[in-house]
Amino acid sequence: MRAHIIGGSVVKVDRHFELGYRDLAYKVTKDCLECSDVDYVIVSSVLPELSAHQLDLGTHIVQWIGKKVPVARVESGESSGLAAVELAASLVASGAYKRVMVVGVEKVTEYPTYTANYFYSLTLDYEYEVLRGVSPPVYAALAMKELIKSGVRRDCFSNWAIRMHENAVSVPHAMLKFKITHESFKDAQVLSDPLTLYDSFAFGDGAAAIVVSSTPDRNGSSVEIVLSKTEVGLPAYARDNISDLTASTKLLKEVTNRFELDLRKVAVELHDSYTTYPIAILRSLGYMDDRCDLDEFEFLNTSGGLKARGHPIGATGIYQAYEVFKVLTDSLGGKRALSEYGLVHSMSGPDNLSRVLVLKR
Amino acid sequence: MKLSVPQFWRVKENQYKLIITVCGECGRKTMFKRPVCPHCGSSKVEYVESTGVGVLESFTKVYYKTNSSEDRLPELVGVIRLSEGVRVIGEIVGVREDELREDVKVEAVLRRYLSDDPYGVIYYGIKFKPVLTH
Repeated sequence: MRAHIIGGSVVKVDRHFELGYRDLAYKVTKDCLECSDVDYVIVSSVLPELSAHQLDLGTHIVQWIGKKVPVARVESGESSGLAAVELAASLVASGAYKRVMVVGVEKVTEYPTYTANYFYSLTLDYEYEVLRGVSPPVYAALAMKELIKSGVRRDCFSNWAIRMHENAVSVPHAMLKFKITHESFKDAQVLSDPLTLYDSFAFGDGAAAIVVSSTPDRNGSSVEIVLSKTEVGLPAYARDNISDLTASTKLLKEVTNRFELDLRKVAVELHDSYTTYPIAILRSLGYMDDRCDLDEFEFLNTSGGLKARGHPIGATGIYQAYEVFKVLTDSLGGKRALSEYGLVHSMSGPDNLSRVLVLKR
Repeated sequence: MKLSVPQFWRVKENQYKLIITVCGECGRKTMFKRPVCPHCGSSKVEYVESTGVGVLESFTKVYYKTNSSEDRLPELVGVIRLSEGVRVIGEIVGVREDELREDVKVEAVLRRYLSDDPYGVIYYGIKFKPVLTH
């Protein structure tokens, strides 16, 4: 038995003050034709207990959207979305269910930004990192300093952000649809030096849905999930270098070798919560020298990535899977890849855990 | 109440001391008293208490707010290489942000982490401050 993504839908990542968790889930599933006939629902969400005082979100969502099918919620930090897709693929491939709808939904803007920052920091170890003053930008900043000491130019990280904003301009559901330049970084708000706001993802509310089916779409508009794999890394404080993202690097090396994929040619969505991380990963994989030239990557984060499409934490992995599905079968932001394979990468924290999804046309 | 008293009480040893886990299999040292070596998975581990003295390898000035107060911004957070050879990350205090430099000698001190204002419990733990050389 195989598992295929046959369709889906996304809501624009934004500050949706008028929409709650249930409203966003309803909005995204209402617009998804393939979502009408499913026999299981998986909800991916990270913050409902903190931002909406809500337990058992999955049940409340299926009740609200009128689906009388089993439901489960998945939470695995920032990589929750891909964990949910992995579970859906397993349910379908095992023969237990035929069509599983995976809904990623998150409300990040319910409170002032400093509270969202606090919630997001809890993806780290609360007792041994957060209480000691460590937050996600701290690791991204310290890793960036390591890379700069090893010879990477500061504008290498800026290049990534500039490219992501360029990509996002033509993506309808992206949050930050405007271009930035190297000049933008000069007066940028510092989060944790040398890391600035322009090196960071955008917080946004969002919802995305995909349908995983045992049979491919009759019109050929589907992709097969050929691999879903996870690797657990070391806590950042226990590594020789914070910028050693060994879980991500190991996974990506393994799948690119196994399927003979060139990241410069295939549709790929890399987790770029901070500009530090994709640069560290691409350097470790041997794709980038100190010049950090991104021009030869044709379908790299076509969505604009977490950086510019936005990062509705528990929904992000579903957005990424939907986006690679669209680039392979239709188009996204006017781009369509001719490659046979597409790749989605997600990680939680500074490579505490990494997941990779390989999709085949 | 921000913190559960039992939650903090349970981890007090790792908050009030710098305990290093030394692996009997692979020999790696890792911060905090933990049951299993995170490098090789062995439970054949021993514990050593650090003297708390080390060298500041790197640091960052943090302006990222996680509460409504700006009183303590920027916070200084650094990577310290303890004299036992293991690295730990912690807040640096007792120094002006424009005077802090890499490679200075630092020592562990007990300082306030947070409190359940206005009448709640105050939680303490380890931070680091530069060692005065004069």
